[in-house]
Order: sequence, then C-alpha cells, then structure tokens
Amino acid sequence: MLQEIRHALRLLFKNPLFALVAILTLALGIGATTAVFTLVDALLIKPLPYEKPSELVLLFEHFKQQHLDAIPISPPEFLDYKSQLHSFSKLAAFTPATYNLAQADRPERVFGATVSAELFPLLGVQPIRGRTFRPEECATGRDDVVVISERLWQRKFDRDPKVLGSKITADGRALTVVGIMPASFEFPLPLFNITGAQFGEQADIWQALGFTDTEMKNRGSRSYGAIGRLAPNVAPQQAQAEIETVVRGMRARFPGNYGKTDSFGMTVYPLKEQVIGGMKPLLLILLGAVALVLLIACANLATMLLARATAREREMAIRVAVGASRGRLLRQGLTESVVLSICGAAVGTLLAIWAIALVKTIGTQTIPRLGEVQIDGTVLLVTLAVAVATGLIFGLVPALASGKPDLTEALKEGGRGSTSSRRHNQLRNALVIGEVALALVLLTCAGLLLKSFVRLENVSPGFNPKNVLTAEISLPALSYPDNKSQSNFFAELERRVTNLPGVTQVGLTTILPMSGVNSDASFMIEGRPNDDAHPGPDEEDRIVSPNYFRALEIPLVQGRFFNAADKLDAPSVVIINQALAQRYWPNESPIGKRIQVPFSKSPPWSTIVGIVGDMHHRGLDQPVLPEYYIPVAQIPYSSTILNVRSAQDPLSLTSAIRREVQAIDPALPIAHVRTLEQVIADSVAPRRLAVLLLAAFAGIALILASVGIYGVMSFLVVQRTHEIGVRMALGAQRRDVLRLVISQAAFLIGAGTILGLIAALLSTSVIHSVLYNVSTLDLSTFVLVTLTLALVALVASYIPARRATRADPMLALGRG
Amino acid sequence: MTAPLIKLNHIERSYPLGKQQFTYVLRDINLEIEEGDFVSVMGPSGAGKSTLLHLLGMHDFGWTGEFFLDETPVHRLKPKERTTLRNEQVGFVFQNYNLLDDLTVYENLDIPLSYRRYSKSERTALVADTLDRFSIVGKKDLYPRQLSGGQQQLVSIARAVIAKPKLILADEPTGNLHSGQAEEIMQLFKKLNTEGTTIIQVTHSETNAAHGNRVIQLRDGWIIK
Ligand SMILES: Nc1ncnc2c1ncn2[C@@H]1O[C@H](COP(=O)(O)OP(=O)(O)O)[C@@H](O)[C@H]1O
Ligand SMILES: [Mg+2]
Repeated sequence: MLQEIRHALRLLFKNPLFALVAILTLALGIGATTAVFTLVDALLIKPLPYEKPSELVLLFEHFKQQHLDAIPISPPEFLDYKSQLHSFSKLAAFTPATYNLAQADRPERVFGATVSAELFPLLGVQPIRGRTFRPEECATGRDDVVVISERLWQRKFDRDPKVLGSKITADGRALTVVGIMPASFEFPLPLFNITGAQFGEQADIWQALGFTDTEMKNRGSRSYGAIGRLAPNVAPQQAQAEIETVVRGMRARFPGNYGKTDSFGMTVYPLKEQVIGGMKPLLLILLGAVALVLLIACANLATMLLARATAREREMAIRVAVGASRGRLLRQGLTESVVLSICGAAVGTLLAIWAIALVKTIGTQTIPRLGEVQIDGTVLLVTLAVAVATGLIFGLVPALASGKPDLTEALKEGGRGSTSSRRHNQLRNALVIGEVALALVLLTCAGLLLKSFVRLENVSPGFNPKNVLTAEISLPALSYPDNKSQSNFFAELERRVTNLPGVTQVGLTTILPMSGVNSDASFMIEGRPNDDAHPGPDEEDRIVSPNYFRALEIPLVQGRFFNAADKLDAPSVVIINQALAQRYWPNESPIGKRIQVPFSKSPPWSTIVGIVGDMHHRGLDQPVLPEYYIPVAQIPYSSTILNVRSAQDPLSLTSAIRREVQAIDPALPIAHVRTLEQVIADSVAPRRLAVLLLAAFAGIALILASVGIYGVMSFLVVQRTHEIGVRMALGAQRRDVLRLVISQAAFLIGAGTILGLIAALLSTSVIHSVLYNVSTLDLSTFVLVTLTLALVALVASYIPARRATRADPMLALGRG
Repeated sequence: MTAPLIKLNHIERSYPLGKQQFTYVLRDINLEIEEGDFVSVMGPSGAGKSTLLHLLGMHDFGWTGEFFLDETPVHRLKPKERTTLRNEQVGFVFQNYNLLDDLTVYENLDIPLSYRRYSKSERTALVADTLDRFSIVGKKDLYPRQLSGGQQQLVSIARAVIAKPKLILADEPTGNLHSGQAEEIMQLFKKLNTEGTTIIQVTHSETNAAHGNRVIQLRDGWIIK
C-alpha cells in the first residue's frame, strides 16, 4: 500500500500540469461542498445551543377570522396556560427590550429582554458567574435585577468580577447585576424567514419580568412571547391537542375577549423550525448545487484519467505481459485517484475556510446563527469521506472501462484504434455530455434566482429610500413619564435636526418599513357593525410625524398630509393608504369618513383626512398591505425612529444628529443608525447571499465543464493528429480542420445542452419556492444560459482546434 | 520549347541540430522535371528522398532557393496560395496508404473533392467515375481494414488522382506490398503517365524504377546523377 502511494505520488510529480489541473478541479468541487456543508451543519443539523432543544417550542396565539396568524400572548392568558397545560414541563414568558445604558462618555443602547424566572432553567443553560432570577424577583417592584452577557461583561466591565451585586444604570433606573451568561448563550434567538424580517440584535441584558397590575387586568393586551419545554415523551401534536381543550375553556369563560366563534386559538411551533426554517429551502438548494459541482468535477477527473489510460494502454499491456494482475493494476489506479482527491480536498478545505470567512463578512449582520458557523471536526470528517468517495468514483470509471487489456492488439497497434480506446472515447464523450448537461442545470437555476433577485431589487418599495438616514431613539419612562414630556422631546428633536445643514426633511415613525418589525391593530368604522358576527377590521397601524411622508417621499393621493395643527387637543385625524381605501371604501371616497382607532381619546372618532400611496412594508417580495397612519402628536409614544432625508451622503449626518440628541438629553443614545437603502438591502440579505453562492457555483460548473471540453478536445486532437495530417495532405485547409474539430465539439456540446435543457426543465421546479416573480420555465433565462454555456464551451474547444490546424502533415504522416 | 513543370534552383534544406548547428538534408538541388515525366527518386535511407517529395508537395516550407511549379514561383507564395496551388496540381500516394479508418472507400475518395469545393453533383459523378476506372465499384462501401494492402494502395492512388492533378507524388508506394501487387501499381502509374500525368515516385526497387523514364539518385542530400 505504502509503496503504491509512493508510486502514485511519483506519477503526479512526473506530470505536474496534470496533477495541478486535477487537484484544482477537485479543490473547487470538494471546497464548495465543504463550504456548503459547513453552513448546513451549523444552521440545519447542529442542535440549538440549549439543553434538549428538540423539546423547545414557541407558542403563538391567533385570530383566524381577523387574519392574525401568529400574535403574542397577554399576561392573564400566560398564567392560564401555565396553570392548566400539563404537556409542558416548563413555560416562560419574555419580551424583547432595549436599555439605554448610562456611561461616562456617551450613552449606549443595548438590546435585551425581560424574561420570567422559569426561562433560564427551561433553556437549561447555566450562568458562568452568579445566578439567574428567583421567582419572587419576577414581580413589579422587585424586578430591578438583571443578568448580563459575557460579551457585555467583557466590553463594559473588563471582566471585573465585582460587577456581580453592583448596580448599573439603565433608562435612569439602577439595576442589580446578579449573574453573567456565557458568550455562547443567545436568547431570544432571531427568528428567521427568507424576507430577512424579524432578525434582531443579540441580547446582552436580561431583566426579571414582573407583570404590572394593569397588564394583569387586560386579557387583550398581548405583548409577550411564550416558550415552552415539552414534558418528556410528549409530542408537539399532543401538546397542541391539550391546548385546544384549554383554549375552548378560555373561550367559554371569556366570550367578551374571544368572541363566540373558534377564531381564537394557540399553536405550537417547534423552536428550531422558527429559527432556521426559512433558511432551509435555500440551504438545500445550495447543497444540491454543490453536489452537481462535485459530480462535474468527478466527470472531469474521469475524462482526464481516461485520456491518460488510453495513452498508457501500451504500458499497461506491457505490465500485464510481464505478469501484473488486473487487481493489482486496479488497486494502483485507485490509489492514485484517491491520493489525488485527498490532495484536492486539502486545497479545497483551504478554499472553504476562505469562502466561509467571506460569507460571514457578508452575512453575519443579517443571517441568524451565521456567526457560529465554522469548519469543525465533523465537517472535516465529511470532507475526507467525500474526498475518498470522489476518488473511488472517478478512479473506478476509467479502470473499469479499460477492461482487460488486449495484449496482442495493444502491443501491435500501439493503442491506435484499438477497441479499448474506442470504448474510452465513447465513455469520455458521454462524460463530457453529462458535464455540460449538469452545468446547464446549475446555470439555469442560478440564472432564475439571479433574475428573480434583480426583479426584487427593482420592485419600487413605495417610497424613496435614497439619501435617508434612520436612527432609533427610545425615551426612558423615568425621565419622560407622560405624553407632554415625550411630545416635547420629539418636537424639539425634529426642529433641531431639520435645521442641520444638508437636511431637507425629517420624519418620525414608530415602525420602519422592511426592518422586520410590524404592528397591526383593530379599529372600527363608523356606521358599520362591529360584533362577534362581524369582527371589526384589523390592519397595519403606524404612528408618524407630519413630515414622515415627505421624508420618505410617500406620495399623497388624495386629501392632505398631517400638519402642525393636528395637535393633541385638536380633532383626531388619520391617513390611510390606497390599499386600505380600496378594501373598505371600494366605491366611494373615504375622505371625511370616520374610524375609531385603539387608545383613542374621547371623542373616539378620527376623521380620514388623506390617502397616501402603498408600500411593501414587510419586504419587497411581500404584498402591499392596507395601512393607517396616526399623527404622533395625538398618540404620543416613548420610542421613535428618526428618518432624515439629506442632500448629501446621509451617513455623514450621524455625528451631527447624535450631538443634537445629546444637546437635549445627554443620557439619550441613538441606535441602529443606517441608511434606508441599507435597511432594504438587509431585508434581502439572505436571498442575496444565496444568489451569490449559487452564481459562484454555477460559475465554477461553467469553468469545470469548459475545462472538460477543452481537455477532451485536446486529447482528441492529439489522437487524430495523423488523420488530420492526412486530410491536410489531401487538401484540407485551416478552416476545414477547424470545422472538423469544432463540429465534433459542437456535437458534444449540443448533446449536453439538449440533455441539460431537459434536466433543467424537470428540475427548476425545485427552486420554485425561492423564486420571486419569475417562472421556473422562464424562456429568456433558459435561452440566455444555454447560449452562454454553448459559447463558452465552443471557445474552450476552439483552442485545441486551432492547435490542430498547426499539425504538420510531414510529422503526421511519419517519415515515409 | 515549353517551360518545365518543375524547376528547382539551389534548393537547400537544413534542420537545426543544436545551438547554431545545422544538419543539411538537401544540398544545392538544381532540377528540372518536364511535364509527362515519370521520375524515380532513389537512394539509401536517410538520403533526403522523403524530404524532397514533401518539398515538392508543398508540405514543407523550411527550405531556401527557388522553386517554380508550372512557372509559378512557389518560393514567393503565401502559405494559403501554396495550399491552393497544391490542391490544384498535386496528388499524394503514401507508403502506408493513409486511408481514413472510419470512412468507407467511397467517402475516402470523396475527401479531396470536398476540400476542393466541388459541387455535390460533380463529386458524385467524379467518385462514380473513379470507382469505375479503378474497378473498385464493388468495394465502395467497405472500410479500409476490410481491404488487402494492394487494394488499399489502389484506393489511395484513386484518391490521389480523383481531383485530376498534373503531378502525382508517391513515397515508396509499394514499400508495404509484395512484388505481384507492386507490379499492378506500377502498371497503373504507367497508364496514368501515358494519359499525361507527371509522376515522381520514391523507390528502392530497380524494377519499379524501370517503369519510369528517368532516375534521380540522392546521396546525403546531394543529387549525384
Ligand atoms: N524534422 C527533422 N528534424 C531533423 N532531422 C530530420 C527531420 N526530418 C528529417 N530529418 C533528417 O533528414 C534526413 C533525410 O530524411 P528523409 O528525407 O526522411 O530520408 P529518406 O531518404 O530516407 O526519405 C535524415 O537524416 C533525417 O534524420
Ligand atoms: Mg523516406
């Protein structure tokens, strides 16, 4: 064995060009596989970083008739579930929160969550220092305790152990640090879906959650997430069945809250599906793509080895003649190909490491759990297995095709025209046809995905994202306890920022389009029934300042924008978008009609004063939703998102805006500063990454297929040198020779293309779920990729064809 | 008197041996061959016979000197013009026949015509005509490996003359044949020669040379007679 490996290595060194091309080909194929498998392993296969993660589920309520599919839970409901459900060994409530951390130089906004005491035991993750919450701390008045992340401990406190038991100031409140969670701990996990929505920041602070008395009185105020651990041996379906019973009881006891229909309910969602479910189709597509790339690489290697086998036929015959057994030759051949593919795998792993690093820099901000991705032992083992399997596959093909060398014929003819080499030629042709076909399938899928991505990027969002800076500000309840202080702050903020040089418009909103955050609320329409039989409408609501529409350049369709006169004590007004107007007033003008919005003061009716254009709030690939806008002056709010339109690069305004905020309140940080264009780009980031990777793989496939064509044609040209010489002696000119060679290549390319087209037609439906507004049979994509492939392959075959025309008839004919 | 079909003045052919070193294969060749000649080139192995034939056949351009073919100064032609001239004037017969393995007799005969841009109907007519003339109609659908050596050389000669060249160059055409078959080939050359085709053959056999009207002896690249 050792001797065979040594022999194999010597052969490789003897023909370094062959070895180089072979190893590079394998490196591309295996490297791509390793890179994608690393992603798949980390995102799909590896368990979530909690104890027995398969037992963890999220619970969302729903009101089917109002099209509310997955909404949070109210405190009274949570306590009901907790006491009545036995399918769960633990249930915990949580809600994301932000904290303005006070510090010496400038305040910082830190993301976190308030969580009930059960949460940490439920997840089964221990703090590295201190403790988590005691049940009695989860009550109003006692809830000023926090657990912080190791990251924050490192960053803010330099790993000072004295931080335990000390107080930190957040939002003007002193909070006692009782524990530190390991850096690997993450909760809540960003929920993922393909639109990129719902992707949040990592939490660094967890505060004890105590429900307030007001909250406990309001069964309809739903703002808490619920996570549960299924009791041992309880399947999600069993839990779901129990939930149905409990919910039925709740509906019976509180008809005023849930109506008399079965619209209300709650559903169990396995946590893992929620976290990475959306990524799954893309990852599987990528996995399929690299499998094709690997196959193409194998085919390439097999053709290269076949060519060599043909050339070495005489040598083999001689070896057999002097007594080598066939098994021995086979083993020698396989050793060589496995040695090759392991070399390829080594280089491929380096490529994969580099590729993963690249993917991380592109996607860590926008793709959940990507930061944790790394090449580890499992991945390396899989890579090794792939390499060995690859080596065996492409090594066996030529070995088996060679069959038993026919001694007399091989020795006599020197290999030319022998049956074995004819069989090699057929096999080689078949392999190249297969390669072209596979490459075409990949190119088509990549083309479709690319086209749908371009279409998506060209969707008009419904506003103008250019030159707008966004930043988030939230006002702590301690220093801004009432409506007046809040509206004063925002008015002053708007005034100051508007006066900054370069700023053209400033608008405030509670919810930024395409940021993944949504809000909806029910409302009543004056004069229309609103009872159990006719549940009131529920649509997207946003609270905005008068200039918000101008800042985002959302067009006014009818009526007017809000203005400074729409104050707290002025008559209540709302603006609706076209979609909402169309849904509820399809045949009349809604202007002047009145609706009753949540939290409205008395008199409760708000008059519709304007209709604005629609926008794709939830993502470019999501449909336009009906929306209504309420002026911030009439429903003051404690947090806001600043939208600043500027005449220059908007990011250059960041420090000026920060200065203005701190001129009003030095304790206030601004967070999440980015341009509106960035917000949109982030919302399509997973898709962009998938497109990028798939395009890269298709590119590799194209290169490999071209190398395959090139190799086979080069070999054929060498094989046909004599024939070409004869033809030239008989009068063939350059173009005749070119035509001869190219037509053979064209046959291979043509056959591969036809096969590939058929395969593509049959297989593009696989990617249907991730396409946007592009048919899986999109004609122009098919035509374009086919032409591209054919052209590239023809160019690849032109080089050996040209070499053929330089064949010297004298040499070719032998020296008489 | 008309000009000779071939006129060579001071032709030299050398190959580089190493740095600044050359080996001369043809030396100061001066030669005239009249239209209608049947010339035999003779000499020991390595004398330069094949080299001379490839030169005359315009396969090789690495020589110096002057070469007139039918009064055309070949030494002044561009490669493309030489190919055209060759296609018009020259037919080749090889020692090892060089029929194309994967083509039938019919298709082998068709090759020179296809490269000379004959029309489809001309090609059909000429091939039929030639098959007839060489009495190989019955073999037209056979592949070369299904023919004997003599038959293959017959096809190869048929292929050389099908495009009606003025000049046939044959490099040891009977080298692989036994004497009976060789005699048939020589008779065929004789017949073509009487019909007006100029023939230059390389041969080691005095018997073969006797069919011609002229012998050129080559030694170490020099013409000695
Ligand atoms: N391409 C070449 N490079 C170097 N030497 C060559 C080449 N071709 C032919 N020769 C030499 O030229 C001489 C004449 O060759 P050739 O014309 O084939 O002789 P022959 O008379 O046997 O046909 C030989 O010595 C041969 O070795
Ligand atoms: Mg010779």
